Amino acid sequence: MKHVIGWIDRRFPLTAFVKHELTEYPTPRNLSFWWNFGSLAGIVLVIQIITGIFLAMHYKPDASLAFDSVEHIMREVNYGWLIRFMHSTGASAFFAMIFIHMARTLYYGSYRAPRELMWWTGQVLLLLLMATAFMGYLLPWGQMSYWGAQVITSLFGAVPFLGDEMVIWLRGDFTVGNATLTRFFALHYLLPFIIVAAVIIHLVALHAVRSSNPSGINLKDKNNIPFHPYFTVKDLFGISVFFTVYSYFVFFNPNLLIEADNYIPANPMQTPAHIVPEWYFLPFYAILRAVPDLVGGVIAMALSVMIFAAMPYLDRSKIPGGARYRPIFRIMFYLFMLDILVLGYVGAHPPEGFLVPLGQIATFFYFAAFAFLRFFSKWEDKWLFNRGLPAEVQAMLSSEQAQKTDRRHHKKDRRETPGDNHND
Amino acid sequence: MIKQVVLVCLILSTACFNIFLATIIFVTTSFATTNNHPLENIVFSQDPASLQRGAMIYYDVCRICHSMKYIRYKTLQEIGLSNKQIDTLRGDKPENSTPEKTTSDHMLSTLYGQVPPDLSLMAKARKHGPQYIYTLLTSYTENEGKYENPVFPGIKMPDAMNIAVAINESSKEEIKNQAKDVTEFLLWASDPRASIRKKIGLYVIIYFSILSILLYFVMKRVWSRLDNVES
Repeated sequence: MKHVIGWIDRRFPLTAFVKHELTEYPTPRNLSFWWNFGSLAGIVLVIQIITGIFLAMHYKPDASLAFDSVEHIMREVNYGWLIRFMHSTGASAFFAMIFIHMARTLYYGSYRAPRELMWWTGQVLLLLLMATAFMGYLLPWGQMSYWGAQVITSLFGAVPFLGDEMVIWLRGDFTVGNATLTRFFALHYLLPFIIVAAVIIHLVALHAVRSSNPSGINLKDKNNIPFHPYFTVKDLFGISVFFTVYSYFVFFNPNLLIEADNYIPANPMQTPAHIVPEWYFLPFYAILRAVPDLVGGVIAMALSVMIFAAMPYLDRSKIPGGARYRPIFRIMFYLFMLDILVLGYVGAHPPEGFLVPLGQIATFFYFAAFAFLRFFSKWEDKWLFNRGLPAEVQAMLSSEQAQKTDRRHHKKDRRETPGDNHND
Repeated sequence: MIKQVVLVCLILSTACFNIFLATIIFVTTSFATTNNHPLENIVFSQDPASLQRGAMIYYDVCRICHSMKYIRYKTLQEIGLSNKQIDTLRGDKPENSTPEKTTSDHMLSTLYGQVPPDLSLMAKARKHGPQYIYTLLTSYTENEGKYENPVFPGIKMPDAMNIAVAINESSKEEIKNQAKDVTEFLLWASDPRASIRKKIGLYVIIYFSILSILLYFVMKRVWSRLDNVES
């Protein structure tokens, strides 16, 4: 074995890579379970790719065969129901993990320097995930698949001058049809591999700047522990708990998040009573509908997804630890979460009665939160400094300062890790 | 030690959480159609005797107008019909074939203006599908020779179970039981793998619950190496 590894090492930096990225990769000791969701999103991506490849072996991307082929998978392929329900539940699980992962980043201010590129590569990943999920939803060729794709592709008609041509170019036809289905299938198979590439870039960036942590400062070297075995085992534990909950949905309630209408084959002549997107698009859908004008609505919806990218610029606070030591930011964080839930509720119901003004107010607060942040973050810092920071924050700030001077003197000792001394 | 016991309980409660979730979803779900007509909240047992009676009712009554294109005759073995019974049902059709309606599409569209839908997926293709089907079948009323149904105003389908013209309470009960049987059958047909799915699912959840507990202790053990280091 040693010979084989030695042989490889002379030709490829295998041992050096494992050392640098795993056994010696320094990770903050104080990471909470909220830091598990990145690896959970990764495992869902793996589930989706594997089940997706097996589904593609039996699925037929043809408007006249697609619906039947899904039922064929559900009824006649050995364990086809399992693969299919793992894939359909996995889509929701993916978004759930990503939303929690993003919420953690927002709460702890992990998007702040030097992690802006982590946040922006994550933003690209979110867009790729949304595109992939949207295209995948057309493939079962049910009523909601069909009409959802019809509504969303028609939004591109809002693009000035080129709008109508763009809609036809996207659909490959004047309405959603066979041409749309085949291209969505091709792209739905392609995009996950682009997501994998983007995840690798995300991880390369992570290993350059390293994980943030609940304290919000760079910890002293002795408080960083090697990723393996401490975080490999912690991630494995998280994955196992995730599978327990995921299994409930796959085996006992797989149709909970599938609209009943999607078990009716697509019918271009009959529009369903209410066209609703999947739950993970509901808040954005509510924002789209809150603006009375189509062009304005499309802009608002695009902005509502993209505005997260501006967070490093909008949040000017210097207080470490994100929301932990910033009372106003913390309240705003929870209000923002509540606002998203309200938008989700509004998006799920037909726009009638009080839901119309409610959606508009919630949309206003959604954007107001970001706009307000730019101004109050500096002011909140000033207020907190004047009032006197808690002793622990003060200590953290001074220790960070001390570390910075320290590091200039002892640049060479940085790689030392405490876990190595205690292999019992 | 106490802390660990608490955490084991926490993991076990993750499994229980699944059951809670199911209960909450069930309790908070209001059973009503889109036009807000309340649906009868009955529980379906998928009992083989009931499924077999339901299959017969489908074969004799519903099949006149409705196909079931995703059900093959041979799969009726799964609800306990014998090969001989299946042979009688399929006649000279191959056992791999699916039940076809006995009236022609042309005839049906002349009579009702459209071809009645396939029933294979009906129990999943409506919100609260089984409750919807049962309430629909048992809600027909007769008014001066015209049929009405509050669950589906303007429905084209006639009162197939004859519940509107039932002569007394006992025959009405009888028809309701038949409606339940046929709904049980349609529920099975919409997802024939549901029972095996739940059976496997139970073991999978138990497996992952135990694995989580074991991994928790492995994690504690690995992390305990750090205890001597000041934080």
